Amino acid sequence: MADLLRVRDLQTRFFTQEGQVNAVDGVSFEVREGEVFGVVGESGSGKRLRDADLAADVRADRPDAVDGSFVDLLGLPDRVRRGLRGPTFGTVFQDPASSLNPSLTVGEQIAEAVEVQRRADANPRSVDSRTQGYGLAKFLVGGTVPGSGYLDEASEARAVELLEQVGIPDPAERAEEYPHEYSGGMLQRALIAQVLAGEPDLLVADEPTTALDVTVQAQILDLLADLQAERGMTILLITHNLGVIARMCDRIAVMYAGEIVERGTLSDVFERPVHPYTQGLLGSVPDLDSVGGRLTPIAGNVPSLLDSEMGERCYFADRCPKAMEACLDDPDERSAAGSADHTARCVLTGMDYGDSPPLAEDHFGDGPSRDGHDGGDP
Amino acid sequence: MVSDRTKRNLKAELRESALAKLGVALVALVLVAAAFAPLLAPHDPTATDPGNASLPPLGFSTTENQTTSEMVDGEIQVVEQEVQVNATASHPLGTDSVGRDVLSRVLFGARTSLLVGIFGTALAVALGVVVGLTAGYYGGRVDDGLMRVADVMLAFPSLVLAIALIGLWGRQSIAIPDPFVRLGLAPGMPESAVIPGTVVVVVALVNWVWFARVARGEALSIRSAEYVTAARAIGASDRTIIREHVLPNSITPILVLATIQIAAIILLESALSFLGFSGANLSWGLDIAQGRDYLASSWWIATMPGIAIVISVVGINLIGDWLRDALDPGVDQGEGGV
Amino acid sequence: MSLGRFLLRRGVHGVFVVWGVVTVVFLLRFISPGDPVNFIAPLDASPELRRRIAEELGLNRPMYVQYAEYLAGLVRGDMGFSYLRGQEASAIVFARLPATIELAVAASVVAVVIAIPLGVISATRRHQPADYGATLFSLVGISTPNFWLGIMLILVAAVQLNLFPTSQRPVGFLEIFGHLVAVELAGPSVAVPLDVRAFAGTLGTWLWHITLPALTLGTYFTALITRLTRSGMLDELGKPYVDAARAKGLPETLVRYRHALRNTLIPVITVLGLQLGTLIGGAVITEAVFAWPGLGTLLIGSINVRDWPLIQASLIVIGVSFVLLNIAVDALYASLDPRVDYE
Repeated sequence: MADLLRVRDLQTRFFTQEGQVNAVDGVSFEVREGEVFGVVGESGSGKRLRDADLAADVRADRPDAVDGSFVDLLGLPDRVRRGLRGPTFGTVFQDPASSLNPSLTVGEQIAEAVEVQRRADANPRSVDSRTQGYGLAKFLVGGTVPGSGYLDEASEARAVELLEQVGIPDPAERAEEYPHEYSGGMLQRALIAQVLAGEPDLLVADEPTTALDVTVQAQILDLLADLQAERGMTILLITHNLGVIARMCDRIAVMYAGEIVERGTLSDVFERPVHPYTQGLLGSVPDLDSVGGRLTPIAGNVPSLLDSEMGERCYFADRCPKAMEACLDDPDERSAAGSADHTARCVLTGMDYGDSPPLAEDHFGDGPSRDGHDGGDP
Repeated sequence: MVSDRTKRNLKAELRESALAKLGVALVALVLVAAAFAPLLAPHDPTATDPGNASLPPLGFSTTENQTTSEMVDGEIQVVEQEVQVNATASHPLGTDSVGRDVLSRVLFGARTSLLVGIFGTALAVALGVVVGLTAGYYGGRVDDGLMRVADVMLAFPSLVLAIALIGLWGRQSIAIPDPFVRLGLAPGMPESAVIPGTVVVVVALVNWVWFARVARGEALSIRSAEYVTAARAIGASDRTIIREHVLPNSITPILVLATIQIAAIILLESALSFLGFSGANLSWGLDIAQGRDYLASSWWIATMPGIAIVISVVGINLIGDWLRDALDPGVDQGEGGV
Repeated sequence: MSLGRFLLRRGVHGVFVVWGVVTVVFLLRFISPGDPVNFIAPLDASPELRRRIAEELGLNRPMYVQYAEYLAGLVRGDMGFSYLRGQEASAIVFARLPATIELAVAASVVAVVIAIPLGVISATRRHQPADYGATLFSLVGISTPNFWLGIMLILVAAVQLNLFPTSQRPVGFLEIFGHLVAVELAGPSVAVPLDVRAFAGTLGTWLWHITLPALTLGTYFTALITRLTRSGMLDELGKPYVDAARAKGLPETLVRYRHALRNTLIPVITVLGLQLGTLIGGAVITEAVFAWPGLGTLLIGSINVRDWPLIQASLIVIGVSFVLLNIAVDALYASLDPRVDYE
């Protein structure tokens, strides 16, 4: 299958009083058409990928496409990039309650997503496409002067259809309601409807179920799976929940400390994990089949992401039960035995345990990197 | 009363915000002017000097028509000529229509404004906090009754109510002896500061409601807090609970509100003086009212005291912003301008 | 609860506030020193004449009787006769009301039209020259006493540049419409000026005279709304729903106005509701500066001569307008914010 999205060397940095933080450091991956691609990490590592659209190349039918039919989003003016967002990829955010405007009805907000495409399609080269004929003056008189609003009746009708498709009962009535009248699961459905309005090739779901009740989580995942099956939609799923990953994904990438440490098909990574971090992650999930065993937590915390403290080494070494001297060099991504697509960023990949002397117990013992920072969201 | 954390926040905000620094500097300027007016002022602000009337400020000159009688060929002729009037260093901001020194009046005016602002706010805080805490803490009918009174008070714009009360009660003033003159440090200056007493009472009467609302809100939220229930359970009296728990928690929002209210009361006092509803003899608003009649010939008489008001109020508002940003109590501002 | 019932409840509450206002206004006379008769009777009036004046005005009856009659009169719309002008107080007050309303409305229009775009520009171009300019303007604007600002405008725009008149209100806003007639032009009737020159002349005169007073009264509100809009927009633009709106491809103009600004206006309106008193108080003093023949100048004049019925009538009209404006603000607020549950 062909690639739909290529993220190349994504860097997310921000600056705090203590220095530069490398939240995401040189991440590259491809999402293939029609698949569900999962990015897994402990809390806090994945959501920084929200900037993926900045570093991504997106396949689009545009004359200025580079690299065959891919567009370098970073090279596009903000206005054009914004125009690609609805039809090319849509995003479902983590917290549905704060992702909708509290003072517009749910229907209006979904209709907006329809309307913005309608207006763009109707007049692709118009100078006015930036504002789409709506400004401060229209806002101030809006509602008092007929026809001065933004939405078209057809768009509002389409919004009701979309609400119905995502399984909201009485869609015509619910469209007239405001976000605070919806439950969390309903809101997430509405947000998915809003994304569908743009008929995107790619749906980015950023921790789509984290804020929801467990029972509702399953419903939302079913909905996403159904939509994916019906429409052949491509989904980029970012989550820390391994259950969600196991249920939804075709291929996955495991992130640790801003890097991808292991990637491959779901079965490769889940059944034959190579990286000790992945192994630890899978070991910390309760398994219904084996009763009585203890969960194995990974010792320690996510390391500091401060640039000054990161250095060139395997960032997992200080928590790794198998750490060796060789881990003090930055490991390359290596192919695991058996599958060309299955790679890990660990010296152990395809290597015999014991080639390098084990690391002294207290190597990281007193360093600031172990205790100084808890690695939480800066 | 003020925790270390609060102090740290205040310092950090002051370090970062240039506007907060500007506010502190402006308020310090006004405080110095008010406190040391008798030492700083070049002249007695109330002394008239018709020979030096309507002198322009430094850097400006005006022309004025002067008529002189001259004996020409045995006949008396009235000669009218334009004479240029230059500024003198002795009156840096010029003089008013009867020759009083504008700079000295501006310096002494700062006293009236600040004293009315501070006393008026203190009285409003005392009144508002007592009423607000009572209403919020006891709730029920006491609360309903007091809040209805507050609603009626709020139905009168503060300036309108103040005009009505002062207009009807008259303009009583209080003389406060000047320490510098008493100690012989400032000979020739007025022996006391005349504070418009009615104005102080009236601005407190029209502004206490804002403090009552804040204090009531705090009392309401604290009343139901668990530690207060616990305090009551171990037998603490209402008075103790209010003093130990409710009052300390209300201090931050009341402090921020009080800062902003000092500015509002300075504006209110100047407006009342401007309209002639004040008993002060030295007030920025009073001088603006007098200068208004000489706008065409002597613009500085009305301009200078107005600049002094703007400097003071900008300074206090900036300090209010600083406190609010550093302490973040989330209060509404109440009535601000005039 | 519906908006209608909400307004009804606010209305009932408003009636109680108005009753309180009326009572306070009535009591003012009893707590102020000096016998009203002193201000009416000649200085050398005989005790007999003074007694007759008091009787004529009902001032010799017990306080509760006077209060009952006063309330009964108000219900009939009777606010008594002006002591000095010999006219009905209500007639005098209502003749002055349009001037004050014009001034307040013109100032509010100036404020909203300038402040909202300025606040939005300031927030969206944060830390750029436009933002610094707007911040400085709003800081000085909320700190300047409006009577002084009015005098400075007179000094510069009227005395020095001779662009505007220093005072007076020769024509009222409604007189402008005296030059319009309804004309049936193929369907709906349209108002057209009968005499274009007279219409334009009256409109021009009105605008020419109201410009400085409206700027004087409006500056504080322009500054305040600019400040509130700026900080509100900055708040809103940082919220997740704004990211989400951008993510669905909405152009920035829509994100700003249709989404962020709408939510910004909710707290702005709350604060404006609290500031209505400042608007009315500011109008009183602006009228004094520009000799504008409204309620403010009437009130100040009546206090100076102790014309009780006029004082009471103007205070009551001011208090009632304030209560009505507050209900209007609440309704506006409720219509903008769907989360208000009208309780």
